Amino acid sequence: MTLLELRGVERRFGGVVAVDAMDMTVEEGEILGLMGANGAGKTTLFALIAGNLRPSAGEIRFRGRRIDGLRPDRVNRLGIARAFQIVRPFAGLSVLENVTVGSLFGTGRERAIRRAEERAMEVLEEVGLAARAADPAGTLTLAGRKRLEIARALATRPRLLLLDEVMAGLTPVEVSEALEMLQALRQRHDLTIIVIEHVMRALMRLCGRLAVLHHGVKIAEGTPGEIAADPRVIEAYLGRARE
Amino acid sequence: MIAEHFRFAGLLALAVAAFALVPQMVGDYAIGVALNLLMWIALTQSWVVLSAMTGYVSLGHAVFFGAGAYVMVLCFGSLPFWLSVIVAGAATGLLALIVGYPCLRVRGPYFVILTFGLAELVKFAVINIEAGLGQFGRLLFGGPGLAQIFYVVLVLAAVSVAVTWFVRRSRFGRGLRAIRENEEAAETLGIDVARFKVLAFALSAIVPGMVGASMVLRTTYFEPLDLFNPITSFTIVSIAIIGGGDDVPGPIYGAFFLVLLQELLWANWPEVYMILLGSLLVAFVLSVPDGIHGRIAAWRRARR
Repeated sequence: MTLLELRGVERRFGGVVAVDAMDMTVEEGEILGLMGANGAGKTTLFALIAGNLRPSAGEIRFRGRRIDGLRPDRVNRLGIARAFQIVRPFAGLSVLENVTVGSLFGTGRERAIRRAEERAMEVLEEVGLAARAADPAGTLTLAGRKRLEIARALATRPRLLLLDEVMAGLTPVEVSEALEMLQALRQRHDLTIIVIEHVMRALMRLCGRLAVLHHGVKIAEGTPGEIAADPRVIEAYLGRARE
Repeated sequence: MIAEHFRFAGLLALAVAAFALVPQMVGDYAIGVALNLLMWIALTQSWVVLSAMTGYVSLGHAVFFGAGAYVMVLCFGSLPFWLSVIVAGAATGLLALIVGYPCLRVRGPYFVILTFGLAELVKFAVINIEAGLGQFGRLLFGGPGLAQIFYVVLVLAAVSVAVTWFVRRSRFGRGLRAIRENEEAAETLGIDVARFKVLAFALSAIVPGMVGASMVLRTTYFEPLDLFNPITSFTIVSIAIIGGGDDVPGPIYGAFFLVLLQELLWANWPEVYMILLGSLLVAFVLSVPDGIHGRIAAWRRARR
């Protein structure tokens, strides 16, 4: 079943076209990887889906319902959560308080503080931050903040999770831990995930399907094997071979 | 959590009871000082709900104080005292709802300047309306006495303390503090930030309106330049900074500190009182940036 569908989505900033005539579908339960160089339009695409930006043209449908132009809080309540590339922790609040905000609002919208904290604690255990629950979020390392970003998004009980370079800047060991964690989370919460990642090996292992963006245009889509062999992708990444 | 609420309710009841004895125990001068203290506690607690919790610093809370006073002036003689106070609170809450939506679209220093400008705008509007009505200052004779005003402001202070306490511990308050820490993240986690901010603004305007309505009767004279005085806004912010934090204790510490210091300096060195007060405030903010509440909290953590 199709969970998310983009048709002709476009976003301009002045004369610059950041995302151009984007068609994309995401099936329920899959992990879709988004690849592309810096400036290819990946993060803009996330902002469009999550409601942080409005498309200049085109339609976005989530479970058949149009969501383009909706405010981010509305989109989130429908079941889409976004973990930001540049982490945005509530630095003055504790780690637990950060995640509790997710469970109090979002799709789950637990109204009682106590229950919301319990749920937040469960999520913290899943992402391995339970021991830091009482610490101010500002004291976490980058790897910790990335996990917090995921935990907070997860606490809103989304159907679709948008993960923007949550593995960037992590050591290889941390990357494999993160990969295991994401697989486990997807299984347990019946999640559909779109990941933006530069760590190629991680994408190849995690995703059933990859899409490659280049200057705001989708230039290729397919299984990791197909993508690795696609001449357009090789050209976009490495340039054309000289005759 | 429940035990914490009970402890709070007990302490609040005790404090109200202690203050309720004041008019029977001391003379008018001391009642005036205690009244001042309660007034600043009520105003600053209300300010905390908006500004300390959301980070949208209002430098124009005098507008609600003055508007409440003006409502009292307009109702004076035709409505009972207590009813006028309630009408004033409703009016200032409504005023905040109306102006809140456009104002709260701007952040940081822009919001600070906007609230300041709004207060000045309303002040001069009232001055012009009064001039148009042919009024130049109004006398309010036959109002309630000092003790009666004192009891009303005591209730308002208690209400404002309770509001801050419950908002701080509610789902709503969690949302407000998330907005302060990062508004875009808060919105992306499902918080309707525009609605939350406007509600906090309205909530923080009601008690100041009621306090203004009560305090104008103490002077028995309505003069817009006094009741919309920007010094009121500055003092609220000073007390909040001195007290520190986004919870109940901050404004209480801050109000005690400022009011008692003011009394002490004014009584002993009336000629240089403002100079001394200013220097002390500067020194205080530089040496204790997280306020009295922050300092006490840090000290408690260290002792554990």
